[in-house]
Amino acid sequence: MAEIYPSLAQCAIVAAAFKILLFPAYKSTDFEVHRNWLAITHSLPLWEWYYEKTSEWTLDYPPFFAYFEWIMSQVANLVDPSMLRVFNLEYDSWETVYFQRFTVIITELLLVYALQMFVDSSRGASKRAAQAAAISILLSPGLLIIDHIHFQYNGCMYGILIASMVLARDRSTLLLSGLTFAALLCMKHIYLYLAPAYFVFLLRTYCLSPKSIFRIQFINCLKLGGGIAAVFGIAFGPFALKGQIPQIMSRLFPFSRGLCHAYWAPNVWAMYSFVDRLLILLAPRIGLPIKTDALQSVTRGLVGDTAFAVLPDITPRVCFALTLLFQAIPLVKLFIQPTWDTFVGAVTLCGYASFLFGWHVHEKAILLVIIPFSLIALKDRRYLSAFRPLAVAGHVSLFPLLFTPAEFPIKTVYTIFWLVLFLMVFDHLAPASSRPRFFLFDRFSTLYITVSIPLIVYCSLVHGIVFGKRYEFLPLMFTSSYSAIGVVGSWVGFMVVYFTS
Amino acid sequence: MAAPSPSPHKPRRKARQRVGNGASSLTTTETGPLVRTPSFPLAAFLWPARGVASEWELLPLILMGAGLFRWAAGLWGYSGFEKPPMFGDYEAQRHWMEITTQLPISQWYSHDLQWWGLDYPPLTAYHSWLCGKIGSLIDPSWFALYTSRGSSDPTLKIFMRATVLVSEYLIYVPAVVVFVRRFSRLSNVATWTSSVALVAILMQPATILIDHVHFQYNTVMLGFVTASMSSMLADRYLWAAIFFVAALGFKQMALYYAFSVFAYLLGSCLFPRINISRFLGIAAITTASFALLLLPLVAGTLYDVNNGIDSIPDLDGPPPSLPLFQGLSEYLDTDALYYPIVEQLIQMIHRVFPFARGLFEDKVANFWCALNVVIKLKKYPSELLQRGALLATLASIVPPNLILLFRPRKHLLPLAFASTAWGFFLFSYQVHEKSVLLPLMPMTLLLAGSQGLAKSTRAWVGFANLLGCWTMFPLLQRVDLRVPYAVLTLLWAYLLGLPPTSLSAYLQEGSPRWTEWLTFFIHGFFYLAMGLWHVLEFTLKPPPEKPDLWVVINVGIGAAGFSLCYLWCLGSLVMESELLFRPRVKKAKTQ
Repeated sequence: MAEIYPSLAQCAIVAAAFKILLFPAYKSTDFEVHRNWLAITHSLPLWEWYYEKTSEWTLDYPPFFAYFEWIMSQVANLVDPSMLRVFNLEYDSWETVYFQRFTVIITELLLVYALQMFVDSSRGASKRAAQAAAISILLSPGLLIIDHIHFQYNGCMYGILIASMVLARDRSTLLLSGLTFAALLCMKHIYLYLAPAYFVFLLRTYCLSPKSIFRIQFINCLKLGGGIAAVFGIAFGPFALKGQIPQIMSRLFPFSRGLCHAYWAPNVWAMYSFVDRLLILLAPRIGLPIKTDALQSVTRGLVGDTAFAVLPDITPRVCFALTLLFQAIPLVKLFIQPTWDTFVGAVTLCGYASFLFGWHVHEKAILLVIIPFSLIALKDRRYLSAFRPLAVAGHVSLFPLLFTPAEFPIKTVYTIFWLVLFLMVFDHLAPASSRPRFFLFDRFSTLYITVSIPLIVYCSLVHGIVFGKRYEFLPLMFTSSYSAIGVVGSWVGFMVVYFTS
Repeated sequence: MAAPSPSPHKPRRKARQRVGNGASSLTTTETGPLVRTPSFPLAAFLWPARGVASEWELLPLILMGAGLFRWAAGLWGYSGFEKPPMFGDYEAQRHWMEITTQLPISQWYSHDLQWWGLDYPPLTAYHSWLCGKIGSLIDPSWFALYTSRGSSDPTLKIFMRATVLVSEYLIYVPAVVVFVRRFSRLSNVATWTSSVALVAILMQPATILIDHVHFQYNTVMLGFVTASMSSMLADRYLWAAIFFVAALGFKQMALYYAFSVFAYLLGSCLFPRINISRFLGIAAITTASFALLLLPLVAGTLYDVNNGIDSIPDLDGPPPSLPLFQGLSEYLDTDALYYPIVEQLIQMIHRVFPFARGLFEDKVANFWCALNVVIKLKKYPSELLQRGALLATLASIVPPNLILLFRPRKHLLPLAFASTAWGFFLFSYQVHEKSVLLPLMPMTLLLAGSQGLAKSTRAWVGFANLLGCWTMFPLLQRVDLRVPYAVLTLLWAYLLGLPPTSLSAYLQEGSPRWTEWLTFFIHGFFYLAMGLWHVLEFTLKPPPEKPDLWVVINVGIGAAGFSLCYLWCLGSLVMESELLFRPRVKKAKTQ
C-alpha cells in the first residue's frame, strides 16, 4: 500500500506544536466551566454532581462526560490540587492552563486515530482524497478556534463520532458503530440531532434483512437494543438508582433559553431576525403592526431572548417540528438506499436541519455539519461545490467567538490558510461527476466566497473605526446573515446532490 | 511526542504513481536527494506539491504558515515582562519609540542615557520614529514621555509584536524569498526543493525566538544583509552596497559581515579583469547612501540649533567635551555652525560603539568567555585583551575573506559570510549571545544551495541552529520562555529530521562514508551533552558557591560547537572554492 504524504501523524505533530504555542491565548468562560466540572467530579460524591451549583456553570453534559472529567481530575490532582476546589472560582494558575489546554491536545489523539481509521477504510483511488479530507478535519479552523483557543473538547468527541461512522462502513462492525454512537450520546447530547440518521441506517442494515424490509433480524435487534441499554445503563444507572434522572434532564435540556443564542448562529432564525429588523423600518409604510415591547430590547442579537417586533414569535414546538420534518426527508432515501455514502449524507443533512431550524442553536454546532460533510465532500465535484460555501460560511461564522485583538490574526489568517489550502487541494482531487453540474450554483458560490473578504475587513476593522463601540450588533448581524446565506445555500445545493445521486 | 516517521525505503514505481494521481502534468523534478520518498517530515509536507502546484500557489501558503507560527509564539511573554526596575529589550525598543516621537532629533542620542539610551545607528531611530508615530495614533499614552516607561499594556504588546512582524514581512521575508530563488537557480536546484529550503529557513527557531518572543528587530538588519547578498547574486553591485549600508545603519552588528561584503565587491572589481568604473560606482554609491542615512540626523540637528534647542537641554555653561576624539575639539571652533553636527555624529558613534565596555558582558558562548573559565581574563589589562581579541578575530576572518577576494564566486557567498561572522562571534570584543543569529543566517541559507538539503549540509546547518538556540536558552528561561523554546526548536528539528527527533540526517540511505561517521559521532556527542544539560538544569540547582555553573557549562559546550561550525564553514569554503583541489573533488561531491 502506497504511503501518502504527509501522514496524519506528521500533521498532528506540527499542529500540536502550534496548539502548544497557543496556550497563553484568550480563553472563554468555557475554560472556567470545565475547571469547575473537574472540581465537581473530583471533590464531590457522584450523587451530588448534578445538584452542585456553587458556580453558575453547573454540570450540564451527560454522565460519560462527567466520568471523563473525573478521570482527568485524577491527573489534575498531581498537577495543581487548587484547581479542584469547587469554591475556587475563576482559578487559572499557569499549571491549570497548561494542564487543561494539554488535555485538549491529548484527547484529540482520538480524532487522529479515528481519521486514520477513515483513511484506512477507503480503498483505491479515493484513498488520496480520504487522506486530504482527514487532514482537513484534523487541521480544521473550527476545532482550532473552538477547542484550542475558546476551549472545549470537541476534537475528542468528533473523533468518537467519526470512529462510529467509519465502523458503520463495514457490515461486521455495525453493532459496534451503534454502541459507539450511544456512548457518544452519553457524553454530549448535542449529537442527538444526528441520531435519526443512525436509527434509520441501523434499523435498515442491521435489524432488517438486506433482502427484504419485512424480515426482521431478531438476534441483531436484541444485540443492538441490549447493547444500547447497557451503555445508557452504565451512564445513567447510578443516577437512576437515586431517582436523579429528572434533575439531570432539566440540566441537559434547559428549554427556558431563547430562540437565538447570545450570538446569532447563522441559521434560518438569523435570517428571520434580519427580516424582522428590516420590517421594523418598513412596517409603518406598509401598515403592519409593531409590537412595541419588542422594540425595547435595543441590544437585540447581543444578549438573551430575542423577541420579534413584526413577524410572529417562534415557539420551541415550531422549531422542533421543522427540524424533524427536514430530517425526515433525507431519511426516506436512506431507508430505501442504505449505502454508507447515503448514510454520511443523511447524517450531514440531519446536522443541517437541526442547525438551521433548531432551538437555541449555538454557532459552534456548525461543526455538526462540516465534519460529517468533509468525509464525503470529495466524492465528486458536485459534492465539492455544495461543500465550498459551507466551508467558508461555517468558519467565518465562528469569528465572533474570538474578539480579542491578539487572536484576530490567528483566526483570520489560519482560516484563510485552511480555505486556500484545502479548497485548492480538494479541487485537484475531486473527480468529475457523471452528472452535469449546476452552472448557476457554481457561479453563486464563487461570488459568495469573494464577498467574505470585504465582510471580514468591515467587521473587524472598518466598523470599529467608523462607529467605535456603537451598533455593536451590526457586525454580528452581517456575519450571521452572510453565513446564514452560505449555510442555507449549501444545504439546498447538497439536498439536490443527495437526491439526484 | 514520538511519531512514526515515514519508512525510508519505498519502491520508485509507487512514487510515480502517486504523482500521477493528482497531477495533470507529470513534470517530476529528477534532481536532488528527494526523489523517491521524503527523507524528512518537511519534505513530506510539501510532497503533494511536487510537480503540481506552481510556486505562486505555494508561496502564499508558506508565508501564511510561517506568519502564524510567529504570531502564536508572540503570545508568550517578552524580555523584561513585568520585571522592574529596568525591564528589558522590549522596554528599550518601546522607549526609543517614545524618545524619537517626543523629542527633537538632536536629543535622541543624548536623552537620559541611563534609561535605555538609544545606542543603535540612525536607521533604527527612524524606524522607531515611524512605529512610534503609528502607535501614537492608536493610543498616545503608549509613547508619552516619561509616564510610559515600563508600560505593560497588553494592547501595546500586540502593537509591538505587530511592528516586528510587519517589519520582518516587509524586509527579511521578501529578501529571503528572492535570495532562495536566485541561489537555488544558480545551484541548479529544482523549484520544489527550493520551496522546502524556504520553509526551513523561515521556520529557523533562533530568529523567531529572539525577535518574536524575546523581542527585537534583528530580522530587519538580517533582511538587509540578505537583500545585499541576493543583489550580489544578480550582479547588482550598487544595490548590494546600498542594502548593506542600510543593514549597517540599522544595527552596527552587521559589521560582522562587512569584511565579506568588502572582499566580494572588491574582488568582483578585480577579477576576472580590473573594472575601475564598477569600483568607483560602488565607492560613490556607498558614500552617498551613508550620507543619505545621516542626512535626517544632520539636518535635524541644524534645524534644532537654529531654533535654540540643545542636544542636552538642562546643561548651562560651556558645551561638554566630546565623548570620543577629545583632541579634536582643540582643532575645531566650538561656536562654528558645523560644530553641533560633529558633536552629534560623535555622540552617535560613541553610543553605537561602546569601546569602554569589557571584553564580554554576559556569559556568551564565544572563545573568550570559554577561555575565562580556565584563565581568569579579568586580571589582564584591557588594552592587552583588546589587542588579543583584534588579532584573533583578524586571524579567523582573513582566510575566508582572502578566498572570497580572489575567488569572487556567487556560490561561495553564504559560506564566506558564515565563516566571517563565526570568526567575529567567536573572537571579537563585546559579543552578545543573541549575536549568534548573525553567523546562523548565512549558514542557514546554505539549505537553498546545491545539495543543501542533502544529509551533510542539513546535518551541519541543523547542528549550528540547534546549538545556537541552546546557547540562548539561559537568556530565554530568565523570562520563562521555556515552552516556546522547546516547541520551536523541537519542531524545527522534527521538520528537518534532526536529532533529537530523528537520526535520518546521519544514518539514512546507504552506508555512510567515514566523514559521515565522524560527523555523526561529533554531533552525537554534542546533542547528548545538550540533552543531558537540559535534564541537569531542570532537575538540579547549581551548588550555592557556583550559581552560574549551568550557564558556564553551556558556554563551554557552545563555544566548542561553534568553533566546529566555523571550521566546517571554512573547510567547505576551501573545498568549494577549488583553490586547493581541482574539479575532480567537486564532481565527487555533487554526484
